[in-house]
This record gives sequence, structure tokens and C-alpha cells, in this order.
Amino acid sequence: MDETALSSVVGWKFPGGEFTIEPYEHWLMCDVVGARPRRSGTANPMYVYYAALGGMGVSLDEFFAVVEASADDGVMFGEAEISVIEPLKIGSTYRVDGEITSAVRKAGKRAGVFDIVSFELKLTLSERHLATSTNSFVFPRRA
Amino acid sequence: MQHPITQGSALDDLDISSVDAEKMKTMAVILRDPNPIHWDVDLVRELGMGDRVVNQGPNNMAYLVELLARNFGGEDQIVNLKVRFLANVFSGDRLIAGGVVNDVRAAGPAQLAEVELWLRRDGNENDLVMSGTAHVRLA
Repeated sequence: MDETALSSVVGWKFPGGEFTIEPYEHWLMCDVVGARPRRSGTANPMYVYYAALGGMGVSLDEFFAVVEASADDGVMFGEAEISVIEPLKIGSTYRVDGEITSAVRKAGKRAGVFDIVSFELKLTLSERHLATSTNSFVFPRRA
Repeated sequence: MQHPITQGSALDDLDISSVDAEKMKTMAVILRDPNPIHWDVDLVRELGMGDRVVNQGPNNMAYLVELLARNFGGEDQIVNLKVRFLANVFSGDRLIAGGVVNDVRAAGPAQLAEVELWLRRDGNENDLVMSGTAHVRLA
């Protein structure tokens, strides 16, 4: 993928979809990370991330294909951000929509050429914006 | 964490004594994450990544959420958390999550703290696996 094609992915919209915070999954997720396990009430803020990626409408492999990459390329997490306007609730279903917000090519002495692609996913309930998950992945580009 | 919370206040550390490989399997199912580096140690060896499975990156972020929850009176106080993934975490690793308050300011009727965060393997400041910044409402 050349730099022109890379920059053209900015604005690409995820198909989007819905995500339900299943009570049993929430309990298990909390147990995994040492948070207080529960099946009702407000959700752990990490569910901003889980709901966003679970409801974005494509798998990670399908998303990577948009930037002409695959998991086999050694894709890495870059940054992740969760912003909470109103806490999510266990058992509720949220709408997820979003798009790619930036795509830049960089080069490092050790890392070689790599692309950083960022995207933003918004969670809404009855068209009320409740939370945002912003993430970036690093795509190594071998010659 | 000592009160009152002011600029320079240090958070009480969160000690994750040993990252559990079995819990990674649970998380792989919850996240529908097909990447075998989280549960297939033979594949991890084949990839030359060592002989221990790799923790899901978001789990490491969740440890910082828990650090904030314990220090600021609950998860609902968290307004924003931004992290940078710096290194893989492996099963059996001991992690220490910590942080310091960089700023406290008024935000409407409430007060908002800006917190610098880190997650270090064995608490070693030269083995930083995640860094971050958060904004948290003060109760």
C-alpha cells in the first residue's frame, strides 16, 4: 500500500452494529482482570473498549484488510483511549459507529517502515452519545 | 491513597502477583479473540516469542482501570483513560501498577484529577509495559 492509498483510508466508516453487555460475560471479564465481579449495575469502563470493538461490524482481520494488512504481518497495539460521558450498564445494548480518523507512515532505525492507523468508535443509546473508544494499531510494512 | 488528593499525590500501587494463563483463555472466549498467542504455548514457541503465552493487551489496560477504581472511590469516577502499549506481558509475570496525580482542577461543580499511570514488570521502572494518562472525578 503506497502513501496515497494509505491516506485515502481516512474517513472509512465501519459498518457498525450493536453490542449487548451480557451479565455473565461481564462477571467473567471482571474476574479475569481482578475487578469486582458483578452481573448488574454499571459496567466496568473497559466495556467501552469491548463494546466498541465487539460492535464495530467487522472482525479485526477484516479491518486490517482495509489497510491491506493481516494479523500475520505482526500488527501491534499502539494506543487505546476510553472516554466516558455516562457509565454503561450491564445488560444494555448499545449502537456502535465509527471511522478511521488518521493514517500516517513512519520510519524508524530499528522498526523500519510502519503505518499507524487510528480509529474512533462511538457508543450511543437511543441516539445519546455515552462513550468513545479511540484506538491505534501499528502495521509493520516490509519492503 | 492519602487525602486530600493534590498535585504530586502518589496512588497506592496495585500488585498483580502473577498473570494467569488460564484467565487468558477465558478472555479469549469472551472477546472472541482467535489469536493463539494467548492460549497455545507451542505456537508461541514456534513464533520465537518465548515459552509463555501472551496476555491480551486490553487486560493490561484493565489493571490500570482497577488501580484508578481502588484509589479514587470506584470505576464510575473515571472520565477518560489513554494508554500506550509498550511491551508484551507473559503468563507468570508480576506487574505493579502505579501512578501520580499531575494536576487537580475545577470542572464545573466537581474537581478533576489528571493522573499519570504506569504498569511495570516486577515494578522495574526500566521494564515499562504500559504508560498512560487518566482524568478522574474526585469524590
